Parts: sequence; structure tokens; C-alpha cells
Amino acid sequence: MKLHLTALLLMATLAFSQQKPQPRTADGHPDLSGTWTFGIDLPPGDLVKVVDGKVTRTHWDRTTRHRANDIPGALPWDKAPSYKPEFQEKVKYMAENESKVDPVFYCDKPGTPRIGSPRKIIQLPKETIFLYEDISGDTFRIIPTDGRGHRAKANPSAYGDSIGRWEKDIFVVESTNFVDDTWFGEEGYLHSDKMRVIERLWLTPEHNLAYQATVEDPAVLTKPWTNFARVIPPNNDPIEESPTCKEDDGKRLLNLDHHLQR
Amino acid sequence: MKNPIYAVLLGAAVLIPGVSLFAHHSPSAIFDMKKKVALKGTVTKVDWVNPHIVVYMDAKGDDGSVENWKFESNPPRWFTKVGVTRADFAAATGESVTVEIVRAIDGSKYGYLQKITFPNGNQISLESQKEE
Repeated sequence: MKLHLTALLLMATLAFSQQKPQPRTADGHPDLSGTWTFGIDLPPGDLVKVVDGKVTRTHWDRTTRHRANDIPGALPWDKAPSYKPEFQEKVKYMAENESKVDPVFYCDKPGTPRIGSPRKIIQLPKETIFLYEDISGDTFRIIPTDGRGHRAKANPSAYGDSIGRWEKDIFVVESTNFVDDTWFGEEGYLHSDKMRVIERLWLTPEHNLAYQATVEDPAVLTKPWTNFARVIPPNNDPIEESPTCKEDDGKRLLNLDHHLQR
Repeated sequence: MKNPIYAVLLGAAVLIPGVSLFAHHSPSAIFDMKKKVALKGTVTKVDWVNPHIVVYMDAKGDDGSVENWKFESNPPRWFTKVGVTRADFAAATGESVTVEIVRAIDGSKYGYLQKITFPNGNQISLESQKEE
């Protein structure tokens, strides 16, 4: 037994020592640049191909994205935001009627942070660029990291006005100046135009991208809400233009059953 | 050019047997999941759009008149992920095909496309694991 334990410890030590050092940019920050896995759920399933009698099966299942993991560097999280009493009934109604009233269901922008982690990150000395693939349109965010503040005259938007900074090895993105008609979560999570979103991105020891967001909105929430962190593996599938989104199922829905997508 | 003989079976593990959907609504909110319908007809158009691809087909009704059917299926990105492109569906345009669908509960000529069989026997099929 003791021998086994010693062997295990030795293997763990070897594995640790063989871990590649985190990639870093010239200015010493972890390099988050790269192409990462698509941020929206697709139905789980298997692909079985038979080509000239040869059968191949590909399994597709990313449902574990909805499971909270113990990720080094992650903040404590809550299952759901805490709304002020006067908003609770409205949030409940929106959640129950999601397939009827969710703008995203009808191809509108998910906004920050609901759009999730970027599909591609381009980290430059004075700014970091996030590129997204989304059915509402393939959007982008250019995040200054040169110490400037938020823009004074920017129009409110679904993705907000963002500035970035480094807190040790974590890239922190602070966004403000939002429109108030997006949901920050699928369960009817409404917000005001005073919402402030803090996104944290970092590399795990395995060099996956970790992503976690906190929503502050004193106008509707009793306290800031931090969602669970997600781990996003790298993925070199080419980024493709998303086909136009046309959803007209709403008029056909005979009940309100729905399921999570993000 | 050699025309490869292939069959594609897409086994989709889903919450509700028979079909998987990308959008937020559950399939039972629109379709009669227990009632599969087989139709023969000619594909007239394939729309490679989000959140579901759309296939249009003309089929002959019981009285001989042409019925215009419309089917949705999984999202384009899902098909891309499992190795099926728009061209695979577009190959059916103008062809006489057989499809299996679950039909809209409201009785309209609308369905969720689960299987398409081409004249040469090639197939693209969505099947739940529970049915395999």
C-alpha cells in the first residue's frame, strides 16, 4: 500500500514537472490568444458514418458545460442572482415564458455576459480583441488595456463599453453602458442600464481557458451575482460566418417547455 | 469521379426520444413526438439558416394535388460538427426523396425532419439513442 502511494506521488510529481509553462506575451502576461471552443450548446448526440462499409461513430456532448467545476482561480459562485422583491415576479414570468419572450430565442443579441466566452482572442500590447460566433451575428469586442477609462460618449449597447486590466495572471474585463433590453441569463435575468459586468479570463494549468462573470446591478439585484466558471478547451475549427437567423417557431408553440442553451 | 456510397446515421441523444432541437423550446411544444410520418416528394429548396436548417418539399396529397411541406431540422452548426454540410442536403434539390418527420401538432404541413433517403440510397438520419 505504502509502495503504491509512493508510486502515485512520484507520478504526480513527474506529471507536474512535465507540465508546459504557461504561454506568455512579451510584457509577461499569460497569453490568452487563440481559438477556443464554440460557446453555445448544441444537441448532444452521436454521429455514425458508414462509408464503403466502414462504420465510424463520433460522439458529441457538451452538457458538462452546465456543471460547476472546482477550477483553480475561480470565485465563489451562486446558482441564481438575488433580485429585489419588486422584480421577482417579473423574472419568474419571463423564465416561465422564455420561449415566448426571450429576445435571444428570436435571434436577437445575447449581450454581455450571456454571449459567454469569445471564440477567438487576439491579445495585443494595448488592447485585446474578442471575436464571437453567434447566431444573432458574429460580433466583436475591442478591449483597451492601456489604462484608459470608459468612453464618455459611447452609445449604450448589448455588449457594453469594456476596458481590461490584469490582476496577476487573470485578465479582468469591466463593462458598462448597456441597453436594458437584453437578459444576462436564460432564466429571465433582466437588468437595468446601470448594469456593470466583470468578466475574468485565465488559463488553467492544462492551458484551457477559464471564464467567469459577475453581474452588478444595484437597481434590480440585492447583491452582485457571480456565475460558475466554465472551462473552454482550445479548438482550431475555422471560425465561420454564422448563417442568417430566422426563427418563426414562436407562433407554433403549444406549450412553454424549453431547455437551457447557454 | 467515383461516387462514394455512404450512409450517414446521426444518433442524437436527447431529452425527448426521436428528435433533438437547438432552440430553447422543447420539441413537444410543436411536434407530435409519438407520430412519425413518412412522405415521398421532391425537394424544392434548402435554407441553411439558424437556428434550424429548413427543407422545403412538394409532395402529392391523397387527392393528387401538390402539397407544399416545410421541415426544420437541427442547427447548421450541429450538422457541420458531425460532418454534414449544406451540399449534402442540397443534393436532394429536384430529386425524389423519402423523408421521415414528426408532424406539427397544429396539423399544418410542417414537421421536424428526422431522416431523408436519397434516390441512390444515401441517407441522413437523426435518431435518438433510445431508439437505437
